[in-house]
Amino acid sequence: MIKHLLTTAAAVVAVTAPLQAQDLSAMSWDQIVEQAKAEGELTWYVWYLQDDLRRAVQAFEDEYGIEVTIPEGGDAGGNANKLLAERERETGDIDVFAWGYNDFETVDLDALFMPLTHLPEDDGRVSELTGIDGGDHVLAYWGNQTGVAYDPAHVSADDLPQTPEEFAAFWAENPGKFGFNYEKGGSGPSYYLNMLRVLSDGVDFFDGESNDEKLAGLQPGIDFFNAHADNYVVTASNADSILRVSDGELWMVPAWEDHLAGLQNRGEVRSDIAFYIPEMGMNGGGNGVAIPLNAPNPAAASVFIHWLTSPETQTMFNRTFGTAPMNAASDDSFALVPNAQREFRTPWAAQPFRGEVEQRFVDDVILER
Amino acid sequence: MTLRRAATILLLLMPGLGLILALIGAVVYIAVAQSFGLYSLMGESAFSLAFWSDTMGKKAFDKAVRYSIYVGVLSAIFSVILAYPLAIWLRKPFAGSVTIGAVLKAPLLVHGLVAAFLYINIISYNGLLNQVMQGLGIWDGPKRLQNDRNAIGVLILQTWKNMPFALLLLTGAVQAISDDVLDAARDLGAGSWARFRKVIAPLTVSGLQAAMVIIFIGALADFSFQTIAGPTNRQSLAQLMVNFKGRGDWHSAAVVGVSMMAIALIGSALLAVAARMIMRGRLK
Repeated sequence: MIKHLLTTAAAVVAVTAPLQAQDLSAMSWDQIVEQAKAEGELTWYVWYLQDDLRRAVQAFEDEYGIEVTIPEGGDAGGNANKLLAERERETGDIDVFAWGYNDFETVDLDALFMPLTHLPEDDGRVSELTGIDGGDHVLAYWGNQTGVAYDPAHVSADDLPQTPEEFAAFWAENPGKFGFNYEKGGSGPSYYLNMLRVLSDGVDFFDGESNDEKLAGLQPGIDFFNAHADNYVVTASNADSILRVSDGELWMVPAWEDHLAGLQNRGEVRSDIAFYIPEMGMNGGGNGVAIPLNAPNPAAASVFIHWLTSPETQTMFNRTFGTAPMNAASDDSFALVPNAQREFRTPWAAQPFRGEVEQRFVDDVILER
Repeated sequence: MTLRRAATILLLLMPGLGLILALIGAVVYIAVAQSFGLYSLMGESAFSLAFWSDTMGKKAFDKAVRYSIYVGVLSAIFSVILAYPLAIWLRKPFAGSVTIGAVLKAPLLVHGLVAAFLYINIISYNGLLNQVMQGLGIWDGPKRLQNDRNAIGVLILQTWKNMPFALLLLTGAVQAISDDVLDAARDLGAGSWARFRKVIAPLTVSGLQAAMVIIFIGALADFSFQTIAGPTNRQSLAQLMVNFKGRGDWHSAAVVGVSMMAIALIGSALLAVAARMIMRGRLK
């Protein structure tokens, strides 16, 4: 029995070791696809909508005969912890790692992920998104946009607030009907960061440098929120905001375009809830994918990323999830907002300044309520 | 004690000690080390007191400490205050007492997250409570009850979840008091309150202490109830720790984590001492 086990183990090592050691950049794409099919499987660590994405990747499984496993549960932080914890392992568990695009900025891409230069050329793909450069290591596959969801039964599409002053006027006319979250989701932070950016004239939010003088420049914006504190509501999360608009409690809330579209497609919130990007600007972003250096099935992972970022898949994602396509050759006609409003998309404030602003907002606005 | 006997005792204790030292000890050690800048996950590791001074200087940390202690202490007190009369009532079996006891302990089987979402559904703007109150003509319109500023929602959830645990401990303690002792007190003229204060309370103080300490620690470290039903203008320590971790600031998160452990330890000791003094009549 022991002899049999040893023989089997030796055979497994003999078969898999050369595959892992093989340098994908030295192979043609056809060879990579061939190796991917030999690997036959991959594990995609993605932190949201796992059930929906399992359905979405069936098209890939049918096309290539490669099985995609999306582990149950797991949030972005948990998956990132796993990635970091097993970075020293020779062979990890993660083939494709999905993460918020701006989160990739917090790690050393060279030290964790393999370059994707072996993928077939496609000028339509996106590796730089909202000021974050994924370089050769990260590709965007899920474009999303924050904006404001509103209840058309109470708010006219012709009279939507576009600037901080107009929002304050809305708050005053409709106290307790506008809400935003400051944690558990980025839509609320996008809203108050952009309000602060517009109100704090001269403070460069896109330069990550942080110092006392720069933070002091936020005071007009902080005072603005505190002066109107009785007129707006702070919600518990992205989802809480949307549910409370759908329930009729609130009339306007910041939201993610894809989140709202997904909930509407699944019938979980009212389909008549509308969405717009205010002229003052709100942040757009997305999620990217990368292949860890110790991925067990790197060729399959490469083929998967090639499929995921293709125009066809991005069009399908736009239709299914309401995402902003991350390939220039895709069709984005199913989005919740017209293309004209995309010009109001702004990049996220740069780190570490953004973190300092968020902390300041929590300390001086949220905890002072 | 001979060396041989000491070694034997140590060996016999090893399974328990090993678990505590190897598993819990390692976690505590890593948390403490990270709070001083060591074991950095994404940067260079170097001993530093900066994370402690920075974190403790933050207004959010100060408020989180006070808020978590508020929730921890009140949850423990409310749970045992509700559990005591029930434990005394269920001390002697009667028809249906087993069923009542089982129903009272049912919250132990419901996960906190489920309870929190159910609670939110009930108190939401157009939820059951608002509809009933409007239907009865008590309220003119719906009231916003979710995420209330005084954390009443969190305290209700904590008490609902922890009262059965206190009941479990106190029922055992109350049932251990013999009828003879209570009859003797009654013969000597002690009324219900006097019997509770002078007999039941001093004899069940250990169960009370255990219940209060365990509930306090759990409520102090609450995350799920707080993030779903808690006030949005306050953060619990666990919430603050997760926020730091979410920003990749593991060292500050470790400072909060270690602080939480220290507060749990000191707070538990103080609660246990206070409970003993009050229940044994040394504080009037």
